[in-house]
Amino acid sequence: MKKQFVPFLAALALLAACDPQGTIDTPAPAATTGVFILSEGQFGAGDGAVSVFDKATKAVTLDAFSSANSGAKLGDVVQNMGVQGSRGYIVVNASKKIEVVNLPDFKTAGTITGLDQPRYFTATSATRGYVTEWRGPYTGYLPGVLSILDLSTNTVASRVTVGRNPEQPLALGGKVYVPNSLDNTISVVDEATGTLSSTITVADGPSSMVADKDGNIWVLCSGFVTYLSAPPYTARVSNGALVRFSPNSPATQFKLTFPATSGPSKLRINPAKDQLYYSFGGAEYQLSTTATALPTAPFIRRSFSGFAIDPRDNTVFGGISPSYNSNGRFIRYQASGAAIDSFDVKVGPNGFLFY
Amino acid sequence: MRCLLFGWAGLRGGLLLLLGLGAARAQQLPAASAAPLDSAQLTRRQHQLGEVRVRAVGPERFAVGSQKIELDSAVLAQYRGATLADVLQARTPLALKSYGPGQLATIALRGTSAQHTAVLWNGLNIMLPTLGQNDFSLLPVGANTRVAVQPGPAAALYGSGAVGGAVLLNTDPDWRPGFRGSVQADAGSFGLAGGSLEARTATPAVAVRVAASYRQAQNNYSYVLREARGPVRYTLQNAALRHQWSISPDVAWRVGSAGELTAAAWLTDADREIQSGVNVAGSQARERDQSRRLVLGYRHVAARQQWAVRGAWFEDVLNYRDGGAPSNSRVRTTQAQAEHTAALGPRGSLRLGAEAQHFAALVGGYGTEQVTENRAAAFALLRYDPRPALRLSANLRQAVLPAGLAPLTPTVGLEWDLLPAQPDSLTQSLNHSVTVKASAARSYRAPTLNERFWLPGGNPLLRPESGLGYEAGLRHRVALQPGTALETELTAFRQDVDDWVQWLPSASTGIWSPRNLRQVRSQGLEASTALRLRWRHYVGGVQLAYHFTDTRKIQGSAADSDPVGVQLAFVPRHQASVSTDHRWRGWLLSGTYVFSSFRYINASGTNFLPATGLLGATLGRTLRGPAGTSLLVLLQGTNLLNLAYDSYPSRPAPPRAVSASLRLGWR
Repeated sequence: MKKQFVPFLAALALLAACDPQGTIDTPAPAATTGVFILSEGQFGAGDGAVSVFDKATKAVTLDAFSSANSGAKLGDVVQNMGVQGSRGYIVVNASKKIEVVNLPDFKTAGTITGLDQPRYFTATSATRGYVTEWRGPYTGYLPGVLSILDLSTNTVASRVTVGRNPEQPLALGGKVYVPNSLDNTISVVDEATGTLSSTITVADGPSSMVADKDGNIWVLCSGFVTYLSAPPYTARVSNGALVRFSPNSPATQFKLTFPATSGPSKLRINPAKDQLYYSFGGAEYQLSTTATALPTAPFIRRSFSGFAIDPRDNTVFGGISPSYNSNGRFIRYQASGAAIDSFDVKVGPNGFLFY
Repeated sequence: MRCLLFGWAGLRGGLLLLLGLGAARAQQLPAASAAPLDSAQLTRRQHQLGEVRVRAVGPERFAVGSQKIELDSAVLAQYRGATLADVLQARTPLALKSYGPGQLATIALRGTSAQHTAVLWNGLNIMLPTLGQNDFSLLPVGANTRVAVQPGPAAALYGSGAVGGAVLLNTDPDWRPGFRGSVQADAGSFGLAGGSLEARTATPAVAVRVAASYRQAQNNYSYVLREARGPVRYTLQNAALRHQWSISPDVAWRVGSAGELTAAAWLTDADREIQSGVNVAGSQARERDQSRRLVLGYRHVAARQQWAVRGAWFEDVLNYRDGGAPSNSRVRTTQAQAEHTAALGPRGSLRLGAEAQHFAALVGGYGTEQVTENRAAAFALLRYDPRPALRLSANLRQAVLPAGLAPLTPTVGLEWDLLPAQPDSLTQSLNHSVTVKASAARSYRAPTLNERFWLPGGNPLLRPESGLGYEAGLRHRVALQPGTALETELTAFRQDVDDWVQWLPSASTGIWSPRNLRQVRSQGLEASTALRLRWRHYVGGVQLAYHFTDTRKIQGSAADSDPVGVQLAFVPRHQASVSTDHRWRGWLLSGTYVFSSFRYINASGTNFLPATGLLGATLGRTLRGPAGTSLLVLLQGTNLLNLAYDSYPSRPAPPRAVSASLRLGWR
């Protein structure tokens, strides 16, 4: 009886050989033409990735970590990446780890574990790194920490408690400035002692910071919203603000307030450190560090999930995340804002690194 | 190897398969004598109204021309401690998206989404009103006596959600006199433990049945994760089924000569740890699902007409917790249905009916206030058989939703016996019968409560989705010799779903909101063949089934960025199943093999889960005891090839597992 189904089973065997072929990876680009694109991945699928784009050949390696490490997945929600020397530090938020890789080949050089909700990384030397971590559940966040990392052993050396939901730290002049995005403060940690030295009050929701050519710190505060049960469903508790201060006199602040229509995010600066960029209300804006008012016309009328300027040639990179159910892409623009080309990457591109 | 079997090439693969089946059939044609046809199969298709023997007429009578996959009671008995997700995955080529054992499992009938399959229990829609779908892991098999799947749009019959098809669960009264019952204990790999009981009794006036089951599982199996330092073996965390209860009593009472009063309840309660992706560290998510379903019905069945009324009350609780404050929801649904069926001369019958639903939802995501919604529908179902060999049906349903009228959903169906069966043939020739069938239907899906009321983003103006589908096919039956029959069915279908709802973030505020954005087309082929054998003490059979499903977005609005023309995520193009059952004296041996081709994991059509082939087997032995008692020992194995695969991205499926059951029965 069974042998009569042999043709059926043979057909099944034929179908089983039917999986699509994997992508072919290209060699790592030369050390001066590489762009790393961070993609968060689909939540829960563990397929966050760092793609490598070679400006010279326009080739994209979709998942450089997996390709270099025999198919190992990077993990869930690739949040941020920092470079120190020839090492890359990839912060993987939901996997609660930092993958350390050699550059430019992305071969593993260790994993930093013992983290909880890690967000952003920065380093000040070959042995000293920092990562911000959130604490508490989404329904009741607690003050977060700035973890001080020993990069020679890839371990957490000590922790400094900062404000709630600390984001991208900025190291400047022996201090590490940490924006507490669920508060209205910047925590200042002294590099030498590894302790909290002061707290600067800015505006609600400080989330990103840059230093300009004059050594001033610019803080972009997103403001807060609350959700309502009737149209328009959201109400602004506080407006966004762009705050500038000198590290020497942080209490003296210059402040530009945004309209209540949206909240600003993703503050960036050009290589000459005299032009600021931020996203607001679904568009990207540009502003001189000497401006006294916010611009009204956008630089690029487009919503980006990631935005960066290549310090080597001022090329602008914008990440596009159509949804968290389909692959994203990045678009290159000339410094003028004119689009050049675009390339597909994985789901949710949120940041760029130039190496 | 780059595979060439895509699209129509894939269909050729399917045809190749069918040739295989044909060959199998050709070899199965010994010189045979006439055989009585399977009466159960045919009486369903024969005209009942107006005959001397009066029976209640089910809605499937008006589903002429559409396919129906029925799980027979012997199969249900084998899986009575399991869930509907388990039995459908083991026994049918239907695509289910499963997050792991005991975890969320949803169905994708004919390439549609989880919200496009209506699930009806005793004729009442039990889809969770908040999500508009069912978790098939929360529906224990043993609670019902009949499980059938009707693929294809049938909204005129079954209402909202029957776009890709409908799953029909029923508890029919058993009027056989006397008491019969059984208790069963189960134990298996990875901390599986459970038990179930079923008891029925009937007098000429009253039939009572109670089924109950309990299950728990640790699901603490190991899996290998490829990390940068190399492959590392881990034990699955936070994936236990803490408990799963189901209790379903029902009673039927004959009132007078034509009346029947029925009352049924189905209570389920599951406490689950929610398995996160294995790359997500330290998740402690838990979910508690409780459903309480009560239905009270009265049916009057006379020779020329019958009528029925039903009232139902459901309460569905879904409480989720992941570290932070819990996300809780509770929905109470009140439903009423009334229908009247009259004979139209000797050849036709007409059913007219109406139904109303009231939802009251207290859901954390909707704010602190209770949200209510009413829906109503009226329907007319016509069955007309101009000749015994030609059966026709034409149905119509119009639903009224809070945001306006749903699309009018007509259905037409035809079945025509090209080569009618010869029930009394005494010739030595093979008794072939061939039936052509075809149907066309419109369907709709009402927006779910989440789609309308979720804060922020809920869209009260969302239109219902609408579907339009066609199917046509052939059914061939041949009686080979007494007790041996081969039945083959081939169906081709095509259906479009328009105004398909997709959640997308707003460009300005970033708030996710559902909108009617796209059109999706699915088309495919479904082939099945079943051989039934009976010889002295032996009863057995083999069932083969193959589904080819091509489903793509064919059109979308500018806001909908998902690519056009890519096979939808989690719908394999090819699915096939083989199952074989053999009984001889007290022995039982079953084998199942289910193949799924690769499935994309998102809308881009680049990353995918590879093809899987899963083998399962059951061995059983029944020992007869004194005074009508019997003892059944059942051994079951799943994933016998020990395939390491993910059932969903980053959710490793269980390796080879075994379970043992002991059932003590009385009759």
